[in-house]
Amino acid sequence: MNDTPDIRKPFIDFAGANGAYYADVFLQIQKATLGRFHLNKAALLGGFVWAALRGNWKLFIIGFVVDLITLVNCALVHKYSNAAIENAGKAYLVERYEGWTQTHLVSAIVVFVIGRLLFAWLADRFYSAQYEKWRIDRRVNSGLVASRLLIALLISLLILPLLLYRTTQFAPEERSCIRQDRAIAKGEHVEFKKRFDCFIIGEFPTFIWIDRPDQISFPRDDDGNRTIKRTPPSEGAPPVNLNTYTSQAIDDGISYLTVFYGFLFDGITHVLRGMLSAITSVFVGTPWPITMSVLLFIAYQVAGSRTAIFVGASLIYLAVFGFWQTAMDTMSLVVASSLICVVAGLPLGVWVGKSRRGQAVVTPILDVMQTIPSFVYLLPAIAFFSIGKPPGILATVIFAMPPMVRLTALGIRHVPDNTKEAALAFGANPRQLLTKVELPLALPSIMAGINQVVMMSLSMVVIAALIGAGGMGYVVTEALENTETGRGVLAGIGIALLAMMIDRVVQKAKVTRQ
Amino acid sequence: MSDATRKNVVETRNVWKIFGARADEAMEAVRRDNLTKAEVLEQYQAVVGVRDVSISVGESEIFCIMGLSGSGKSTLVRHINRLIEPTGGEILINGVNVGDLDAEELRVMRADKIGMVFQNMALLPHRTVRDNIAFALELRNVDAFTRAQVADRTIELVDLQGYGDRYPSELSGGMQQRVGLARAMAADPDILLMDEPFSALDPLIRRGLQDEFLELSKSMKKTTLFITHDLDEAIRMGSRIAIMKDGEIVQTGTPEEIVTKPADDYVADFVAGISKLKLIFAHTVMQPVEKYESGGVMLPSLQDCPQADPEDDLDTLVGLAVNQDNPVVIMSDNKPVGVVTKDALLRGIQGET
Repeated sequence: MNDTPDIRKPFIDFAGANGAYYADVFLQIQKATLGRFHLNKAALLGGFVWAALRGNWKLFIIGFVVDLITLVNCALVHKYSNAAIENAGKAYLVERYEGWTQTHLVSAIVVFVIGRLLFAWLADRFYSAQYEKWRIDRRVNSGLVASRLLIALLISLLILPLLLYRTTQFAPEERSCIRQDRAIAKGEHVEFKKRFDCFIIGEFPTFIWIDRPDQISFPRDDDGNRTIKRTPPSEGAPPVNLNTYTSQAIDDGISYLTVFYGFLFDGITHVLRGMLSAITSVFVGTPWPITMSVLLFIAYQVAGSRTAIFVGASLIYLAVFGFWQTAMDTMSLVVASSLICVVAGLPLGVWVGKSRRGQAVVTPILDVMQTIPSFVYLLPAIAFFSIGKPPGILATVIFAMPPMVRLTALGIRHVPDNTKEAALAFGANPRQLLTKVELPLALPSIMAGINQVVMMSLSMVVIAALIGAGGMGYVVTEALENTETGRGVLAGIGIALLAMMIDRVVQKAKVTRQ
Repeated sequence: MSDATRKNVVETRNVWKIFGARADEAMEAVRRDNLTKAEVLEQYQAVVGVRDVSISVGESEIFCIMGLSGSGKSTLVRHINRLIEPTGGEILINGVNVGDLDAEELRVMRADKIGMVFQNMALLPHRTVRDNIAFALELRNVDAFTRAQVADRTIELVDLQGYGDRYPSELSGGMQQRVGLARAMAADPDILLMDEPFSALDPLIRRGLQDEFLELSKSMKKTTLFITHDLDEAIRMGSRIAIMKDGEIVQTGTPEEIVTKPADDYVADFVAGISKLKLIFAHTVMQPVEKYESGGVMLPSLQDCPQADPEDDLDTLVGLAVNQDNPVVIMSDNKPVGVVTKDALLRGIQGET
């Protein structure tokens, strides 16, 4: 290297011990001339110890994990080969344990070799990144400091013994641990090793045991009114854990609400049913030639001739394969749920978009609504509204509403401040600001929200067939139960066509609006 | 300029604006201890936007507020229609304290009395040019027919005939700003607030719009607060100029006062690069006849000398002095009152009088 000492000096200052080597390597990295397969030999030999000495904790973790996995595999090799020897009499066990021994041996070797090579390959590259950080902030670790070995040693001491113990022992079963817990509660003697095994290397131990809650039922009294009846648990019944206790409490709460506020849920069911029957009468109650031509006409008006041809073809598929009635059933469900989503989601979205508090309150709820698996919505829907179409609609609304709220809020929030300011400067009141400036400017986003709502409604309506919402989803679930693959595939294609049909029309509507 | 006789349309009295969560505390502290901007920022994490500004703008005057970005000029002008509430002080419009208006009265005042033009136009992209211009009227529930008529008249005023049914995105930047101007004028307000209206336009179009606006302003007689960061523009447009720095007004005066008597080095720095041709007048650069002759040189006969009026600017004098060996004689009431030599003229162009 014919570089002046001045250029090399900061590298040497940083690296300390063996500075000349690192000066060369860092210069090569900066000039992009470092060999593609360049390895740091000290790192190759030293592993995580090298990383600790150099104070690079990112590399330390990588190196440590590699060595850890190797070690665990070695321990497992030891454990299973011993087991094979112990069970020498049983041929099938020997065969199984020897297989496992081999697998872990191969894993140990492969992980160690590839891991160390990778570590050595990364070492100089990561170390030069550390150098760049050190140039900005001198508190970043530099040089070779022996005291950092202590930290590495401490971490190893904390992790290794327990880990090695766990890998050489067979873990106890959960049930035997529960039995052991009871025995301890009764004051019987249990040897230390068993206790230790259950507590540390078995499943996560149950810390909280709660007395069984009262059984609650709601019988009618002589006048026909419902009353709350609590039955205490039978004497000596074993305690329950937190999960059992809480789910029992939730169940009790739901039954309480349905028994004493049933009129409320009945009312909602009634309204939904009324709305649905109005919509269904359009789709299902009308003779098919009329429905079909109206749908085609709408598609043509909104989205042009090409989409209309696609819609026509899809409708013919549905009709010819005998899905007409069920498809129209599904359509009514989608329309009903989408309507509710839009009517409720739009004002909510405006509120979320305009108010900081609204955002703080609603956003986490929306997050939860979107992350909970869609099947979970079906359970409370059944609990409160029993089975049928209305709970199906409700579950769908909960599932499909978030994008409406989110995208409306996004649209409102993205209205430029200076446009709003201009409207205010010309004397707009809050209502005028909303209707004449914010909503029109947020319209593209709102239309995207509606599109999402419709698509998500369709997917959920299909799932809602599980709780008796009927429609295309019912055909699929039926096919699933009876393993009628062909029927299921045909119905699946029908659902896909339905989805594409709706999507195309709504998308095109969005474009023409802009 | 004799403002005393004029009615003050817009007046701000000791207006303060401090931004930040602890603005009121900071305000008290500033009043008590006269803290600087940096001290307020350090002690209260609050930013002084406008510092004790008192200005008065007369009827049909174009009052320019000039300052660099961050000097608080846009903040100040937003106090006038109360888009920003002052931390201290009051704003009067035609003698009415804006701070006393309730929400409805404020809206009426914004819609009827004040038109505003923005640097970034801030037009509504989903409305045609005509509907944009008629926006203020629509907010006041004027019927569609009247709106269209008023809008069409205003479109002619800003020379945008034939563009009424286009969308703003179909127009060039200069045309969009004409729409912005038309929108501000459609409701026929008494006051125009113009927040750097021409800053985002390229120089040629800016010049054209400045001229057009000056002409419109002459015929419409609107009281205008014109904000700019460009001293040239301020001098072209303004009958008076206020120069702002760090939220404070450094100097207020006519363009000539600003150029010839800068209040401090900050203003002097600005003025240094400005062409004085149209800003300095004969009476400033001339010397009395006696003083001229005391140099031992006799004034040539009046017929041989170019003659000018004391109110003529340097530009005119230069025109008279070229191709002439004799000095320019300044005449008042048919009597020579002073002499401008070429040396004095050149010094005058340099700004040294």
